Amino acid sequence: MMKPVYISAAAALSPQHSFDADRLLPDVVSSSNGKLNVIDTDYSKFINPVAIRRMSRMLKIGISTGMRTVQLAGINTPDGIITGTGRGSMRDMELFLGDMIRLHEEALNPTYFIQSTYNSINGWLAMQTKCTGYNQTYVHRGHSLEVALLDAQMLLNENDAKRTYLVGSFDEMTEEYFVVKNKAHYWKKALPESLYLLQHSDTNGTIGGEGAAFFTITNEAEKAICRIEQIHLLHEPTTTSVQTAIDSVLATNGMKLKDLDVVLCGMSGDARYQPLYQPILENTTAHTTVAAFKHLCGEYDTSTGFALWLATRLFATQTVPEVLIQKKGINPSIGNLLLVNHYPQGTASVMLLSIDK
Amino acid sequence: MAERIVVTSLGIVSALGNGADANLQALLSGTPGLHYPRHLQSVHAPEFLMGEVAHSNDDLCTLLGLPTGNNGYTRTTLLALVAMQEVMKGIDKQLLQDEGFACINANTVGGMCAVEDLYPDFISDVQEGDFLKYIDTLDCAESTQNIVNYFGIKPFTATISTACSSSANAIILGARLIQHGIVKRAICGGCDALSRFTLNGFHSLKNVDKQPCRPFDNTRFGLNLGEAAGYLLLETEKSAKERGAEILAVLSGYGNTNDAYHPTAPSPNGDGAYNTMQLALHKAGLQPQDIDYINAHGTATINNDAAEGKAIERLFENNIPLFSSTKPFTGHTLAAAGSIEAIFSIWGLQQQKAWGNLHFTTKMEELAITPVVQTQDAQLHHVLSNSFGFGGNNVSLIFSKA
Repeated sequence: MMKPVYISAAAALSPQHSFDADRLLPDVVSSSNGKLNVIDTDYSKFINPVAIRRMSRMLKIGISTGMRTVQLAGINTPDGIITGTGRGSMRDMELFLGDMIRLHEEALNPTYFIQSTYNSINGWLAMQTKCTGYNQTYVHRGHSLEVALLDAQMLLNENDAKRTYLVGSFDEMTEEYFVVKNKAHYWKKALPESLYLLQHSDTNGTIGGEGAAFFTITNEAEKAICRIEQIHLLHEPTTTSVQTAIDSVLATNGMKLKDLDVVLCGMSGDARYQPLYQPILENTTAHTTVAAFKHLCGEYDTSTGFALWLATRLFATQTVPEVLIQKKGINPSIGNLLLVNHYPQGTASVMLLSIDK
Repeated sequence: MAERIVVTSLGIVSALGNGADANLQALLSGTPGLHYPRHLQSVHAPEFLMGEVAHSNDDLCTLLGLPTGNNGYTRTTLLALVAMQEVMKGIDKQLLQDEGFACINANTVGGMCAVEDLYPDFISDVQEGDFLKYIDTLDCAESTQNIVNYFGIKPFTATISTACSSSANAIILGARLIQHGIVKRAICGGCDALSRFTLNGFHSLKNVDKQPCRPFDNTRFGLNLGEAAGYLLLETEKSAKERGAEILAVLSGYGNTNDAYHPTAPSPNGDGAYNTMQLALHKAGLQPQDIDYINAHGTATINNDAAEGKAIERLFENNIPLFSSTKPFTGHTLAAAGSIEAIFSIWGLQQQKAWGNLHFTTKMEELAITPVVQTQDAQLHHVLSNSFGFGGNNVSLIFSKA
């Protein structure tokens, strides 16, 4: 059994005001075009002005979020950088591929090719933070960030020395990718207003999303926003296996369902996957608040990143904004939070987070 | 390392052939696998020698008992499945499943080899067609998921993409998962199929040589691309002995670092390569003079070989081991390079051979050292295998004689 690890700083660029806002989720953003896109920030604060000119949006988003997290943690150089991404910089891939087809494989711009490489953001973050330590990029669909976090937990359990790893995720929803995924029946046919996505859980499909979220993960308890007690990965999840996983995580940590103050769920308004979350709504006691997040960030491979950032804010503020609440509990404070998320390509994860109340 | 991690089964398909026997024979006889591609549909196909696997997609499907034609399997996945089939012969599937295992795969462009032909349909108004079978095949985890489905197994899965060091990283993760007791065994490696996307990417960077590549040679001009899949079964020495498995080699050390220098070029003095090799030695509890042979990354690009060569000179000083790059045999197989070269390193230990660095003629100006030119007999106890990638992602692995 591995020792828990701690989140000491977190930042997210998302479709909500998550980056610079002094309050949690002010002026909630909604959309009606089937997808939620990241609200841009002033990327020049985080990236060298010469380098930024040729950078694609995904790189700017990913690098800025990573650099902001390092700043918030009050460090210059992390001990290593680990990321998870389902798609990397989709737009660079589309541009290089589109040009290659249109120009018949002649006179192509290598910048798109280089930036489409899944580990390019990791490379940039290493350069900008002068981090020559461990560096890794996971590309495993809905488990990309989860495996990155697990890797950090393993690293921190391999060494007793004080260490801090920069761990994060990034994915983007481009116009083309939205069309591609529509053919794979990811999105709702009748596009809902995103804020009310979860009121349409009787039809198939969801809305697209994107975002980047980074965290410093450390074994230094005194710097913690919260503790990651356990990360549990599921394949081809069923309603039963999700419940079994939740029970197992709680039992491993000596807890009961009633000990959970908040369950943060990845319900996406898709009738095909709503049954995975239904028992959570039904079985949790009056104590527990059940909350959701995908109506605020949309569906993407690494939406767990947005949820985990949100969790750190819930711990820090000790409040659950009304816009998240699916079932209101009577919990006076937030000490234990369970994050349950599913992604359509056959993965789900259960993560237990806590602070000492 | 706490418990010794050993390698007990291998699987490989490359331009040298399908399976261990064909690949080993080609290495022993010094026969490279490069030719002008027959399967890759590119306007540049007649210009560039490549390490293309001889089998067509339909041939690969036949080997796997899959229907031929547009069946939804990309060439990336088919190569992975063929190599995995060979690994799985080395262990009872039920035992593997019962005792818990991981499948750690690595990849650079997923199913791009199929998607690049179908992309106009992907983004057009067309709603129906064979292309739909490939609609979710672009991402890197596609081949991993297909391995799981094809063999009907339920491992801990992960997919890694750190450019040309991807599958070397897969091997490290597998070893660490075992050491943490998260799994008992791990099948680790990588796969990449040739694609126009990758060829044109490297070509636009002016990194591809039209001649056979010449690693560590003063006349080197760039790499030849290749495709391959290679997987290794890792477990503890104890678990291998328990089931009476033959131990092919010991994974005695590994290192992962980043250059933090440039998006595509290595630090000119090879600081990243130096740090990575040193970290692997430290992990293995070995000194530089203990290394008998280095299977170098040796892509034959101007930058890599200069940086890697300088790092080897600095780290090994007066004890420069035998070293060579086997990329002239297979081409640079990108995400598969780390795992197939790990396999070549293990065969070096088993056969007591240092593999020849084909096409070497002229010492590099920047270096005092030269590679093994022809495959030679050598007493090998510890072998180092390097894999360095874009993004400054460096990995070194050390394998030791069983």
